[in-house]
Amino acid sequence: MARTPARAEPHGALDELPGELLMWVLIISELLVFGAGLAAFLGVRLTDPSGFAEAQDHLHRTGAALNTLVLVTSGFLAARALGLRQVGRRALARWHLGAAMLLGVVFLWIKGAEYADKAAQGIGIETHPFFMFYYLLTGFHAAHVIAGIVVLGLVAIWDDAHNIEVGAAFWHMVDLVWVLLFPVIYLLA
Amino acid sequence: MNPLTRAWLALLLLSGGSTVIAALVSQGVAPATVGVGILLFSWMKARVILSRYLGLWQAPSWRRGFNLVLGIYCLLLLGLYLIPAVTT
Repeated sequence: MARTPARAEPHGALDELPGELLMWVLIISELLVFGAGLAAFLGVRLTDPSGFAEAQDHLHRTGAALNTLVLVTSGFLAARALGLRQVGRRALARWHLGAAMLLGVVFLWIKGAEYADKAAQGIGIETHPFFMFYYLLTGFHAAHVIAGIVVLGLVAIWDDAHNIEVGAAFWHMVDLVWVLLFPVIYLLA
Repeated sequence: MNPLTRAWLALLLLSGGSTVIAALVSQGVAPATVGVGILLFSWMKARVILSRYLGLWQAPSWRRGFNLVLGIYCLLLLGLYLIPAVTT
C-alpha cells in the first residue's frame, strides 16, 4: 500500500488506516496467531534448549535466508504494482503482479525442497517438538503464500486500484509474518 | 531513489545482516548478543514492511502503535530465548 486513492478527510483513528479496514483486522489476527505460535515455540524450547539447538542444525539457513530475499522482493513488486495502477500504467502493474506471483512460486519451490530434504532424512512432525512447531508454523505460512498467490492472480484480473491495494496488503502480511518467523525458527540457536 | 525502493534495499540488507549475525555464534560471539542482534533486525524489518509496504507512513499514530507493540513482542521473544542462558 504505497499510496492510497484520494478519499475524504479522516474523521477518526480508523479512517487514518490506509486501505481496507477488514484487511487490517485480518493482518492483526494473523500476527496474533503466528505471534502466539512463535512464543509457544520459545516457551517449549525452555524444556529442552540443547535438543532444540541440535534439531535446528538440520535446517537449511541459507535456503531460508534466500526465501526471505525472494519474499521481500515479491512484496516490493506488489507494492510497485499498486503505484503503477494508480497512475494508469495498467499493463505494467499486471506484469509486476505476475512477477510477484512467480517469486511466490519460487518461495514455495525452495520450501518444498526443504521439506523433501527433511523427509529424506527421516525427519517428521513427531521426531522432536522442534519439528512439530517447524512444520506447523512454516506449513501454515506456506498455506498463506499459496492463498496470496491466488489473491494476487485475482487482483491482476480484476485490476482496479482498490482491489490491488487489498491483494497487495494480504501479500505484505505474508511477508511480515515471515520476517518474524524466519529468525525465531531458523536463526535463534 | 523513491522511498519504496529504499525500503526494499533496506529489507535486503537487514535480511542478509540477520543471517550474518546468526553465523557469528560459530565465531565465538555470545549467543545472547547474537539473539539481541537478530531480533533487533527482525523488528526493524517489520517496521519497514508496515511503514512502506503496508503504507502506515500515512498514519503516524498507527505506525507508532504497531512499532511499540512489535517492539514489546520482540522483547518477550528475547526474554524467552535468554532464559536458558541465564538459568544455567
